[in-house]
Amino acid sequence: MPRTPAELLQGTVDILILRALAGESMHGYAISRWLDARSDGVLTVDGAALYQALHRLAKKKWVASEWGLSENNRKAKFYNITAAGRTQLRAETGVWQEYAAAVSKVLKPV
Amino acid sequence: MRRRGSFIQWPWRSRATIAREVDDELTFHLEMRVAELVAAGADLATARTQATREFGDIEFTRSYCRRLDAESDRSTRVAEALDEWRRDFRYAFRALRQRPAFAAICILTLAIAIGANTAVFSVARAVLLAPLPYGNADALVRIYDGSTTIKDETNPFSPANYADYVAQVHSLTLAAMSGFTSTFVPPNGDAEILSGLNVTTDMFDVLGVRPILGRVFTPDEDRTGRDDKTLLSYPLWRQVFGGDSSIVGRRVMINGVSTEVIGVMPPGFSFGWNEELWTPLSISDLTTDVVRARRQHYIHVIGRLSPGATFESARTELTTIAQRLERQYPEANKGRTVTVMTLRDSVSGRLRTPLLLLQGAALMVLLIACANLTNLTLSRGIARRREMAMRAALGAGRSRLVRQLLSESVVVAVIGGTCGAAIAMIATRMLLALNASALPTMFSVSIDGRVLGFSLLLSAGSGIVFGLLPALDAARVDLNESLKSGGRGMSGTRGGARTRRTLVIAQIGLAVMLLVGAGLLVRSFHAITATRLGYDPEHVLTAQIRASGPRYDTAGVLNRFYDDVLDQIKASPGVVAAGATNYLPTQGRVGTSLRIVGKSIDETNLPDIGYTSIRDDYLAAMRIPLRAGRAYDRSDLPHGAKTVLLNETAAKHFFPNGDAIGQRIIIGPNANGTPMTIVGIVGDVRTEGLDVLPRPTLVANHRQESWEHSVSLAIRVTGDPHAFVPTLRRIVKTEDPAVGLREIVPLDDVIASSLAPRRLSLTLASSFAAIALLLAVIGIYGVLSYAVETRNREIGVRVALGASARSVLLLVMRQGAGWAIAGLAVGVTGAIGVGRLLAGMLYGIGAIDPTTYLVVAVGLLAVVTIACLVPARRAMRVDPMTTMRAD
Repeated sequence: MPRTPAELLQGTVDILILRALAGESMHGYAISRWLDARSDGVLTVDGAALYQALHRLAKKKWVASEWGLSENNRKAKFYNITAAGRTQLRAETGVWQEYAAAVSKVLKPV
Repeated sequence: MRRRGSFIQWPWRSRATIAREVDDELTFHLEMRVAELVAAGADLATARTQATREFGDIEFTRSYCRRLDAESDRSTRVAEALDEWRRDFRYAFRALRQRPAFAAICILTLAIAIGANTAVFSVARAVLLAPLPYGNADALVRIYDGSTTIKDETNPFSPANYADYVAQVHSLTLAAMSGFTSTFVPPNGDAEILSGLNVTTDMFDVLGVRPILGRVFTPDEDRTGRDDKTLLSYPLWRQVFGGDSSIVGRRVMINGVSTEVIGVMPPGFSFGWNEELWTPLSISDLTTDVVRARRQHYIHVIGRLSPGATFESARTELTTIAQRLERQYPEANKGRTVTVMTLRDSVSGRLRTPLLLLQGAALMVLLIACANLTNLTLSRGIARRREMAMRAALGAGRSRLVRQLLSESVVVAVIGGTCGAAIAMIATRMLLALNASALPTMFSVSIDGRVLGFSLLLSAGSGIVFGLLPALDAARVDLNESLKSGGRGMSGTRGGARTRRTLVIAQIGLAVMLLVGAGLLVRSFHAITATRLGYDPEHVLTAQIRASGPRYDTAGVLNRFYDDVLDQIKASPGVVAAGATNYLPTQGRVGTSLRIVGKSIDETNLPDIGYTSIRDDYLAAMRIPLRAGRAYDRSDLPHGAKTVLLNETAAKHFFPNGDAIGQRIIIGPNANGTPMTIVGIVGDVRTEGLDVLPRPTLVANHRQESWEHSVSLAIRVTGDPHAFVPTLRRIVKTEDPAVGLREIVPLDDVIASSLAPRRLSLTLASSFAAIALLLAVIGIYGVLSYAVETRNREIGVRVALGASARSVLLLVMRQGAGWAIAGLAVGVTGAIGVGRLLAGMLYGIGAIDPTTYLVVAVGLLAVVTIACLVPARRAMRVDPMTTMRAD
């Protein structure tokens, strides 16, 4: 499916969040920390993009949310991935890997 | 454990909650970041600034998230609701399949009731709501010559008055027409008599109708020499010309004149006169004879409201003109005014009341059906207590249970309604086929999408009506009690019993109203058919015949033709007598004014007398008795001294001293007309319709008044009138092949078709009443049986204490009779109102006809007694041992 650059970017954030939630349910801040740590600080998603993406994913029913208590005993909204979200994650991961492989193939030094 | 609780309620957040939750979430994020930065050594203010900067556009994110959440909540809510409905309906289907007998009874009852409603609605819609076959028909009005003394008189205009209205009126564009009968001869075809309309050339513009082929009249085509043009109706074009589009420009013979076909009108276009042809009408030609032009009334007027004019403003203007014309021409217009009505009222006004009444009757049947089903469902609800209690115990709320039960009744109702619509389709077609002449031809009745939509809505509505009460009742469960007793031994609430009783009484009341209504119609119908017609319609064949065209322009040729035809008919085997008349009974009345020679008379207020003409042995053929004097014979020569007969009413009215015979009268607008001598008095005949009393009428001699080219033959035969048809056709064809015959029907059928509208309403009303009675009886039977069942123990105790079987029987019967009498009281009260509504349709009886009421009351009590006997006998056989042991 053809996408505009903005949609491509949104899609990237989406798949990263879904990947973050694949292991365990997390609140928004934890997701941003997780991404930061996992990518060695390369992929930093700012708060605005993160929460817009989370609510978008919730509307698509790829993630579900509920209120709980954070590690420092504060009320926080936790997200977890749904079955539909997992399916989406699998599909998008495949696309991404093909895409990334193709890009690095092209960019290989001559 | 975070999953439970909040998650289930999530889709039901309010707008404010959504906003707060988004705020909380974002604040949490910022605070976590600030805490982290502070922990790393930053001071609070710097940390806050940095956190906020890192976050990005917080305001946009806030509103974006709120919007998204609201949207997703909404879609979740819709999806869940749909899902719930689907589950409810699936459950309902399953529940119904488990009780096929219950479902079948409900579906059948509703199919009948909704079928009746749908059938009546399909007719009512076609007649009262569907668009008329004209452009922007809401702006069209019919204008009649009215009377200042009698309200809403609807007479045609005189040509001269019409011309004055056209010249003076501003709020309307007027067009006029008058009917005619024509002999129509297509190229290479047989002669046929058709109805036609002469219309002013602007008629089709006023109506806003275009032909599907060719063109309409140009304004100058009403002038002699250019007026040999005609438009054909769609059916005529299809039948006679096979839909050949090259017909435009070809010539046909109309009344002996070669006429060019200029176009074909669209299917369904009609004024409701069964007309097949339209030819130009010239008002200026009709106004050359100044006296006749103002005194003879035969112009029918249609008007279209000018832009900006309203119905009321038009009426006011027309009335003003009428008053002016009354002052200007008192000798012709004294006491005359205008009656204005919308075109729709003029075509369907007289059908409105019967149709609305029938629709009301059908709705009453539906109400009775709903009452029955309510009771049935209530009783069943008690049997299902345990199931409901179980579901409640499993967490279903009361509203859930109500909804579930409601979906069951709606499912039943919609299935019933669908069957009902199918019944209606067949029934409507059958009824209209049996009563073909009951409706004007311009209304096409069909069960289309809109009618089906009505029936579906009605079905779903009745499902809710009859399901709501039982659903509320059944959902009012007491968990402990129901589960413990296992559903046995519970007789329902006190309120339930009262509801059932009220419903039975209401049902009987409604049924009584319908029975009385139908009874009044039946009695009226009998009264009409039992009227002394004044003639004997059996064994009489009638046929319309028309000798016209240049060949028959002289009275001599015309008289010779009719004499020859009638002579040959009389000479045929099996013929008893034969004659002819201008109008057969039930075909209407023509009036003329009357002057008695030698009596001074108020010229501005001439008495009115009905006009018929007859020739040959018409009186003998119809068996109309001669009361005094003599009938016509061949000594009354066409150009000899004019003779005339009066009917008894006219003789009594105008000559109260009984000296009518020998007196001379002058008829028509001209005071100097030829006097006619009264030679005989004949019996009264119901000429205008079976339900219209005879009015003063004169019977002219058609041999002397042969300006009417079209007459109806009346032939009395010994056997079946149909058998004479081939002979009649042969005789006329041999005499002149260009002369047409039509409506060759036995007189019995003419009368029957004049009763068709009445018979149709009667058939429907009595069927509805019969269904209502049946349903009400089933209702009372069901409720009584149920009552006996729940009182089994009490009866057992009574029997054990020594009550006789007889007293048990009486106990139950008394209960049933009590309901019946209460229902009868309610019904009679309502029936008095129904009778008042019916007043216009009754004949020969009053709206409060004691016979009808008595028959209904006795009949109802008898039927109810029989219905009560069954449960009562069951109560009689109650064995005290069994009932006491059962607990």
